[in-house]
Formats: sequence, structure tokens, C-alpha cells
Amino acid sequence: MAKTHRAWYSGMLSTEDWWAVWLGLTFFGLGLLTLAGIDLVGWIAYPKKWVMNLPDGAIPKKIVPVGKAFYALGGKYSLTSKAFYKSLGPIGSILVTYVVFTIATTIGAYFQKWDVKRYFIGWTFIFFATYLVWFIGHHAFFSASVVDLKKSHFPEMFTLSLGGGASFILALLVGLIIGNFFKPLARYLSEAAKPEWFIKTAIVFLGVKVGYLPIKAAASSQKLGHVLADLTIDLFIAGAAATIVAYLIFWPGVYTISRKLFNLPRKTAAVLASAISICGVSAAVATGGAVRAKPIVSIMVSALVVVYAVIELVILPGVFTHLWPGPSDPMVAGSAMGMAVKTDGADAAAGELLDEFMRAEVERNSNGAVVWPEGVITVSAVMTKIWIDMFIGLWAFILALVWVYKIEAREGERVPFSEVWFRFPKFVIGYFIAWFVYLGIFFGPGQGGAAEGMAILKAAKAGAVPVEKGMRKLFFMLTFMSLGIITDFKQLHEAKFGKMVWVYFIALFLFIIPVAVIIAYLFHHGMQLPNVAGTALSYLMITLQTTFS
Amino acid sequence: MAENKENPQVETGALTGGQVETHDVLAGSEEWAPIETKLVLGSLIAAAIALIVGLLIVPTSVLH
Repeated sequence: MAKTHRAWYSGMLSTEDWWAVWLGLTFFGLGLLTLAGIDLVGWIAYPKKWVMNLPDGAIPKKIVPVGKAFYALGGKYSLTSKAFYKSLGPIGSILVTYVVFTIATTIGAYFQKWDVKRYFIGWTFIFFATYLVWFIGHHAFFSASVVDLKKSHFPEMFTLSLGGGASFILALLVGLIIGNFFKPLARYLSEAAKPEWFIKTAIVFLGVKVGYLPIKAAASSQKLGHVLADLTIDLFIAGAAATIVAYLIFWPGVYTISRKLFNLPRKTAAVLASAISICGVSAAVATGGAVRAKPIVSIMVSALVVVYAVIELVILPGVFTHLWPGPSDPMVAGSAMGMAVKTDGADAAAGELLDEFMRAEVERNSNGAVVWPEGVITVSAVMTKIWIDMFIGLWAFILALVWVYKIEAREGERVPFSEVWFRFPKFVIGYFIAWFVYLGIFFGPGQGGAAEGMAILKAAKAGAVPVEKGMRKLFFMLTFMSLGIITDFKQLHEAKFGKMVWVYFIALFLFIIPVAVIIAYLFHHGMQLPNVAGTALSYLMITLQTTFS
Repeated sequence: MAENKENPQVETGALTGGQVETHDVLAGSEEWAPIETKLVLGSLIAAAIALIVGLLIVPTSVLH
């Protein structure tokens, strides 16, 4: 570690982390062109809730007939090319989406020195499987809520009301089936099944979402725009504080459990503690490097992290929605998710699932009187995770110092501070750029949502929606599918993991998750989501009441 | 320390090498050292300080 001499820009063209930045910022940049009247992002194919045939008296508003199950987002949101994007139709928009992202991601695969031919074939399979699952998951039976049925004048019928969450679960299930029952296929697809890359790209797109939230709200009311802008900044601050406290409790706790209860060696305990406490795979690798554990330790721990993250992804959104903390504390639940789920992919995906479940739950409980804006709970989950990701570089540096100078007392060795930069998760840069640019548009030329700035905000919206809605959700879907494909549950049965499985289980479920919820509560309890149901006036009144009560 | 010993089976590429090495990294626990106590306690003390400061300055904390 101490003898590496890397330039600060090394890896910019060859690592997954940096390619998430390039991919994310490319489409973010194309989205910004709508400010100049050029719409180059409206082609993205997005699903609608559908049924085979509309019942008598129903209108195709929230639920449409099967032939309209996909549409190009630009056909609805574009200011300059609406007719063109509409003309693409469902199949045309999916094909354009495939061509654009195939070119973009294959360029990334080439520079990352992957097997381009295998990547292309694998990507093609995963892309179309993902769209097929997205289509099935949006059948009204899985996805439609009470409000959707009402707005489309449907007769009362039973639906699972899972919203977009149904598609995520299905994608994960299909991926897991491939990964566990069709292993040769899964091995072949593994060249293109890159959940970390996909989710890091999705997180850059999420930066667009965070910045766009006040712009979206300002279309209904200027006040609400400011409320959401303040909320995202509050999440940023509270997330930082919660993350620092949580991490400083998690790490020593898990390290002590590993050493005292399970009698593991120091280095293995250190790697395991970082993986279970912080951000999983990257923490395991960073700590393994810092304390110079054998590579097998990081590999074993990373495998456990991925498997447990999938288990958490399946269990926690439901538990947090229906048991604890519940819909009365949505920001606490989101933030706790960020601290509890150990991979970026599974965390953001679990946050998205939680967002869908929570919104569907309050909508159902209130019979449509309370509707929360989409994506804010996801943002709370990702915000804490991003802080954790940033912290790992610093923690790996501290551990390296302790190991080099105290535990192993290595003669004549020093740890350069540049290690912090090399451990820094670069995709975070893309996330913040996207967020701050849209926030800057809102408070700058958009004049904080005042009438004079609305033309600019509408133009910004046309470019932001396809990215923050269409591309972000597509990359979430790809993440779920890929995560399933690369997850092999058989690994958990293999005796060689032995004690590690139990350390992980006990530390995660009896220590990390409860402590994460408590810390999230301490810092996020004061936050409430605005209600965006009803007319503009009641909308504003309910919002102010909810936010400031 | 157990981690510092070379494993000849890994070097020869023997298929069983991974298993031996795996066992190796789970076994051979060292005695708990004072520096570990310092690391754990130092981290918890830092957490307590961060918690107090955070609760005082973060506007959405339960103290506000």
C-alpha cells in the first residue's frame, strides 16, 4: 500500500467507478441540452401499468391497454420533439433505448478491458430480459394502487398494490433463478451482469432526481419547491452526522464480536468488521489492503456481503414498511436502510423498493388522501450510503496507520495521504455534480420557482425527467437482474465460510440494523414528507401543515 | 502470525489450496492486544462526541 506511486487520475478510463461517472454525466449533459431547445434524451422507453383489455367505462389514464404498455418519455415531456418521440411507439422506443445504451456501455466495457463480444451478447440478453420483466411487473394486478384504479375509473378489484416494486422483485427473482439454476448461462452472462456499475450509474442519475425535486414541486407551487429543496439539504446534513456516528459504533462493535465471541484472527476480523459495518465489498477490499490481509479474506467476505445484501434487499423494505419504523417515519426508514444494506446496488435498490412500498402503504391507508412525492425515500437511503462510501477511504487510511505503526510496527514504512483519494468512490462526484447543477438551475435562472423563471424550469424538466425517471429506473432494473444473476446461494452452505456466516448474521440482524434505526431516528425523526395529493391549494396547505407540524 | 506463513499448495496451484488457506484465515486467533482496546474504545468515544455534536447542530435531530 505504501509503495504504490499512482497518478491522481489513474483509473479514469479503466475502472467501473469512473465509467459510472462518464456514463451518468454524458446523459445528464445531454439532458441539459433541453435548456437550449435540443431534446436528445426523450427516446427512453418507460412502462405504464397495463391490462389486456380495459373494462367497460374505464379510461386509459393511470392504467392502459397492453398495446400502450411502453412509451417514449419524450412523447409526454419533450417541449421541442414531442411528436417525433410519440411516433416511436413502444417497440421503437425500446429499440432506440437498446441501441443507445448498447453503444454507450460497450464503449465502457472496451476501456475496462472486458471481453467485448461476451459483454455485447450478455448485455443484449440482460437488457431484453429486463424489459420483459419490467413489462410483466407493470401488469395492474402487481402494480396498480387504489388511486390508480379510481383515476382510471376501474371497478373495484384486488391488486397487490406494489407499484414499481413488483418489477424490481421480479427482476431479482428472475436473476436469482438464472444465477442458481442455470449456472453455465449465469457464468456467461457475468461479463455483462455488473450490478455495481449499473447502480453507480443509476446513482449519478439519482443526483439529477435530487436536484430536480424542487423544480418538479415548483410546477405546483413555489413554496413546495423550496420545501423539497430544503428537505434534500436537510437529508444531506443529517445523513452525514448519522453516518459518522453509526460507523464509529458499528466498526468496533463488529470487530469485538468477531474477535471476542468468534475468536477470529485480527486481520480477518478487521476486514469483516469493515464489510459488515460500512459499504461491503469496497470496504472489504480497502480494509484488506490497509491491513494487508490475504486476498482470500476480502474475496470470501465480499461473497458473503453480496449474498447477505440480497437477503436484506428482500426482507428489509417490507419490515421497515410494516413493522418498524413504519410509514410514520419514512425518512428514518430510508436512512436506516442506507446504513444497514452493505452494497451500493442492494442499498439503492432496497431504498427504491422501500419508496414504492411506503408510498403505496400511505396511499392505501389514507384512501388516496395522502400521496408522497416519488423518490425522496430512495434519496434518504442513498444519501447515508454515499456518506458511508466517502468515509471508507478515510477509515482505510486510519486502519492502515494503526496496522503499520502500531499493530505490526513496520520499519521504515509510511502511508501516503493520497490513499484517501484512491479509496474515494468516484461516482459520488457525478452524483453531486448532477444534483448541484439542477439545484443551481432552480435557484439561479429558475428564480426559485417564481413565475419569471418557469420557462427555464420547464425546459430543464424536459431534459431531467427522461434521465431521473426513465434511465434511473432502467439502471435500477438492470441492477436487480444482474445482482440476481451473480448471486449464488450455494456459497452460504459451503462450510469453508464457517464462522464468518454466523458473525455476519449476528452482527447484522442483532446489532447493525437495530442500531441503524435508532441512529436514523435520532437524526431524521424531525423530517416529514410533503403531501402532494389533491388540488394546488389543498396541496400547499397540507404540505405546510405536514412539514412544519 | 498465521497470515504471514506461505502456503506451498497455493503456489503449486493445487485445487485444495484455497480450502487450506481459507481455514488458515479463520484459525490462529491472536491474543487480544492493548492496541485493540484503544482502537475500539477510541472509536466509541469518537462516536459519543460525534453524536452529541451532531444532535446539537443538525436541525432535524430529536433535540430540535
